[in-house]
Amino acid sequence: MSETAGRPLERVRDSTSLSRHGPEPASLADILERVLDKGIIIAGDIRVNLLDIELLTIKLRLLVVSVDKAEEMGIDWWRHDPMLTVGERGMEEENRQLRERVAELEGRGAEGEARHDG
Amino acid sequence: MTDDERSSARYLYAVCRRLDPAVLQGVPALGDAPLDVVVQHDLMAVVSTVSLAVFGEEALRRNLEDIAWLEETARVHDEVVRAVSRCAPTAPMRLATICFDDAVVRARLREWYVDLAHVLDRIEGCSEWSVKVLTAPTDQAIDDGAAPAVTNGADYLRRKKLLAERRSAHDSSVAEAAGRIHDALVLLARASRILPAQDPRLSGHRGTMVLNAAYLVPDQERAAFAALVEQLGTHDDRVVVDSRGPWPPYSFAMLEAR
Repeated sequence: MSETAGRPLERVRDSTSLSRHGPEPASLADILERVLDKGIIIAGDIRVNLLDIELLTIKLRLLVVSVDKAEEMGIDWWRHDPMLTVGERGMEEENRQLRERVAELEGRGAEGEARHDG
Repeated sequence: MTDDERSSARYLYAVCRRLDPAVLQGVPALGDAPLDVVVQHDLMAVVSTVSLAVFGEEALRRNLEDIAWLEETARVHDEVVRAVSRCAPTAPMRLATICFDDAVVRARLREWYVDLAHVLDRIEGCSEWSVKVLTAPTDQAIDDGAAPAVTNGADYLRRKKLLAERRSAHDSSVAEAAGRIHDALVLLARASRILPAQDPRLSGHRGTMVLNAAYLVPDQERAAFAALVEQLGTHDDRVVVDSRGPWPPYSFAMLEAR
């Protein structure tokens, strides 16, 4: 499945003459990034649940691209996975407490103004 | 026929124009079925019959999760698309586009006629070329180069800082090199797309992939494009240029969202 592993990299790898009749098949990464991600999309009669396709694409993307690249591309489902986001949940709780505190202080300010105006 | 009684359907590989169906003889299709052509006006869809036991919704959902099945299916799909695109202007379909029968296929071709015709006009007479720029495997030289010998903690920190600076300068110069290569290749292409970098676990490449791009190259520019790739690759020894093609124009056969 890999084209380059186990062989020294040449300065330029140009498989112009090879790929057509191919003793060397195209890499799985090259094929998948094209047949799954590119090409014409026309809705057929067999519709695989979109959510499933997205999950599949995400899994493949994580294979095709590295995790930091995935984040760059906006694939960040693990952020919403409760198993992986304990730290963030802690921050949410902190944010909630801060919002309450701000509301409380604003409420107090409004009361103060009201007293001042009255 | 109700859906429950159906046991097979038509799998679409590509839509093309002016294809001699004889070229499809002997090209292996999914499930070893023969390839057929469904004609609608001047558009031709290349199809074969697939079993719904494998390509029905339930089965497909399961099978798509199986990387070995996915690889086999993707390779057969790609081989059919390649065979067609060698002989005719071809718009590849995304994997697993399946209609119940030829009447539905024709209905889809009618429905998308204008868009498909536009795609075929755009890609006619061109092929897709994949060009990747990888950092040369001599990267290790940065770490092994003339860095001060470590004799104490301050030396250690100085050495770390120096290596980090060198690496950072090297990375940005490699990215610039990749940018220059892309800028040069674009001039010979009708269109280009930057694709996400691939993971070495799947592609097997060494070094860092700093550019993964697809170029839609007119056939008359093919030799010039290959020569330019060769020249750009030998010009800069920090990078390896990996060029592959011709591909069917997958990356340039996309319908506009509507």
